[in-house]
Amino acid sequence: MNSKPKADAATKATVSLPTKNGITLKVNGAVKQIEIAPWTTLLDALREHLGLTGTKKGCDHGQCGACTVLVNGKRITSCLTLAIMHDGAEVTTIEGLAEGEVLHPLQKAFVEHDAFQCGYCTPGQICSAVGLLREGKAKSPEDIRELMSGNICRCGAYANIVAAIEQVSRMGERGDEE
Amino acid sequence: MGDRPAGVIGEKVERIGSRERLLGKASFAADIDLPEAVHLVAVRSERPHARIVGIDVSRAQHISECLRVFTAEDVPGRNRVGIIRKDQPLLADDKVRCIGDPVALVAAETLEAAREAAAAIRVEYEDISALFDPEEALRPGAPLVHADGNLLGRRTVKRGNPEAAFKHADVVVERVYTTAHLEHAYLEPDAGLGYMDGSTLVIHASTQNPHYDQKDVAELLGLDEGSVRIIQAATGGGFGSKLDLNVQGFVGLAAYLLNRPARMVYTREEAFLCTPKRHPLTIAYKSAANRDGRLLAADIRVVGDTGAYASYGPAVLNRVALHATGPYELPNLFVESVLAYTNNPTAGAMRGFGVPQIAFAHESQMDLLAAALGMSPLEIRLRNCYRIGSLTASGQELTGSVGIRATLDAVAPQYAAAVRERNGTVSGHIRRGVGIGSMMYGIGNTGQQNPATAHLELTLDGGVVLYSGAADVGQGSSTVLAQIAAAELGLQPEAIRTVIADTLLTTSAGATSASRQTYISGNAVLDAARKLKEVLLTEAADMLKFDRAKVILEHGSVRAVRDADRSVSFAEIARRCHKLGMPLKWQGFFDPDTTPLDLETGQGVPYATYAFATHVAEVSVDTLTGEVRCLRVVAAHDVGKAVNPQGVHGQICGGVAMGIGFALMEEFVPGQTESLKDYHIPSAADMPEVIPIIVEDPEPTGPFGAKGVGEPALVPTAPAILNAIADALGVRIYDLPAGLERVLQAALSARKP
Repeated sequence: MNSKPKADAATKATVSLPTKNGITLKVNGAVKQIEIAPWTTLLDALREHLGLTGTKKGCDHGQCGACTVLVNGKRITSCLTLAIMHDGAEVTTIEGLAEGEVLHPLQKAFVEHDAFQCGYCTPGQICSAVGLLREGKAKSPEDIRELMSGNICRCGAYANIVAAIEQVSRMGERGDEE
Repeated sequence: MGDRPAGVIGEKVERIGSRERLLGKASFAADIDLPEAVHLVAVRSERPHARIVGIDVSRAQHISECLRVFTAEDVPGRNRVGIIRKDQPLLADDKVRCIGDPVALVAAETLEAAREAAAAIRVEYEDISALFDPEEALRPGAPLVHADGNLLGRRTVKRGNPEAAFKHADVVVERVYTTAHLEHAYLEPDAGLGYMDGSTLVIHASTQNPHYDQKDVAELLGLDEGSVRIIQAATGGGFGSKLDLNVQGFVGLAAYLLNRPARMVYTREEAFLCTPKRHPLTIAYKSAANRDGRLLAADIRVVGDTGAYASYGPAVLNRVALHATGPYELPNLFVESVLAYTNNPTAGAMRGFGVPQIAFAHESQMDLLAAALGMSPLEIRLRNCYRIGSLTASGQELTGSVGIRATLDAVAPQYAAAVRERNGTVSGHIRRGVGIGSMMYGIGNTGQQNPATAHLELTLDGGVVLYSGAADVGQGSSTVLAQIAAAELGLQPEAIRTVIADTLLTTSAGATSASRQTYISGNAVLDAARKLKEVLLTEAADMLKFDRAKVILEHGSVRAVRDADRSVSFAEIARRCHKLGMPLKWQGFFDPDTTPLDLETGQGVPYATYAFATHVAEVSVDTLTGEVRCLRVVAAHDVGKAVNPQGVHGQICGGVAMGIGFALMEEFVPGQTESLKDYHIPSAADMPEVIPIIVEDPEPTGPFGAKGVGEPALVPTAPAILNAIADALGVRIYDLPAGLERVLQAALSARKP
């Protein structure tokens, strides 16, 4: 909260801010170099420094899952990790899933199953689902529900989200796509 | 081959705005940035009730990059906001009335500097005795939250002679129910961006209520309404909270006074701290029935905590009183609903305006009466539910679209099966239970005008553009409105371009609240579409030299009924009209037929139509841990007509999710609850199997028979779950939420001999 003093303003002036650090991220296939303060979260780096606002900030404390992205193929909440810890990593966000005009199978399934209402949690849900399917642990709708429980949807589109993921999961088993 | 193409009303349609949401391209308010925008952070009260003695901003002003600190004195117009009662300062002037009240606003070049400056501001307070209990607030001599008293309002509803009826009743049940403060917890924390476009202040807002925002921001700044433009950004849920101003006043003030773009984004903690909550209510409910299970009388007294400011409190107290009987005939009735100001967080609109709370009480009472009479819960509801010709609590005669009985019939087979299954499942400390919850819900605002307008434009290339001020916050109104226009004009919904919720381009549709947009804006769109259709048919008949009665609309053309070659396109008609100097835009209007309520008896016609629903919930209760699992919910909803059935299913499933939270886990404790870390809402793992059943008892005045479903979806779930827990344990819980401790306590008391 903003109302608690972080530091006395007088002493604060004597503390020199650490210099910004340069890091390289491969975001959605493109190599990006950014200068960021060491405490910048990966979420803020994406949104504020790279202009990739598709990844959402819902709580900034890993409680809602809206900021889920894929780092080297694994799903993580980007608000709980510092960008500097991922120097050189490959990051995939919601903007990087479609191939041009062709939607990713999960994006397609989300439309088909009406797996969202307001759409704010959707980027996180979809990135999380991509990660989940890669993990290969979800064998049943119950597994999907449990393993997607870090991604909150207040509109309550869960049944449709699970159905969309299940459909793509089955396609994967049949080797249709992905 | 008629005028209305198949596949428009009642068919699966892709939600408008899907693609940009799936690609991460939708612009929510926090996604919109202008490089030169200043960042705003509010300084908020840490005291519940205190006079402001002084605000020392000197240290903040020394922070480089801090541009300006605003206080109440800087508000150029009227420093009061509020949709029903203007009682809330944008920035506190004389005193603060709750923790979180904004006292000052910092504008800085960076967010970090704004936060640092906000932290450096010292506010000197002189504490005033604070009130946290509405009953205490109403006692004579209580400290005053507002100068004109702590009573926000009182609504009474009176019918027949309840006292006499209680004397002759075979069974009387009297209980007290309580509910907690709830947080909306929409996933998108409130955010906005304001800037000057010439002499117009433009605000991109996360809102359910753009035209109201425009009025309040204009009044705050002393501007005329035309100088303020509100554009609804993609909005990440609202559930009632985003009916009130959140950041609009702040970004407006800063952008206007600094003549620079200004952005403000709440943290999750700030959204929890300072946005409205669901009203906690204490409901004393006494009801009586005769031996046959017919309800005879009820005496219902409700006291609620509206917190520091009015917000939508007046709407809640009215709705609670008028819905206190549930969907049942009650010839003898006394209801009193009272809300009091306290120094708790403001309570406002939250999906259902108090109806979810009162439904918990009336549905518990129905089960208690049934048990006392040895009757099944389904049977007592069937015996008392409204039908055509019934009189409601306000004495309104129901003349059509009364689908409550149909929803009960729809769930009956599943209810019977669930009871059989429960009887066959006995497993140690895990108990199974089945419960029913029913409800009615008045569509639109209570006993007052609440019109919507809409426009349709025919473009010179034959396209149709729909202009509506109705904010779509995820419930899908834009899609439904496009379907309605398309159906009337012989088009597919994709052919309709939509311009939504921009006060410069669209006229008011009223708020996205009270489940009103399908019915009210839907009718306004239909009205505009009929006018456009009239012109299309008349002009086409003239152009084709054909009988006006024998031409039809089809795929963007008008043609002779039996001669497809004799046709003119919408584009040709548009160009001809344009040449003749005719306007190519048509306005639609609809205001539901209501009457104001009698002040003393609450009699009148508060709503033009009602939605009805029944849920059956199956639960398992762990008597050792208090854990309740909701296993299945069968949810039957009379929506009149499902314009977009997939959307209706979505609303129902979402309502069930929120209902599970209300029933089992959600409780906002003022001064304690900070964020999603200590306020738990249902996740995918908490969801039961949901079986939605759409019941269509067409509303004669609805667009294609439609009513609404947004709030009704939530209302019956918690009552059904609580009745199921009582069924499982043989002990009833009267206080929500039924969290682990309460359930365990109930389980322990059930075990006692």
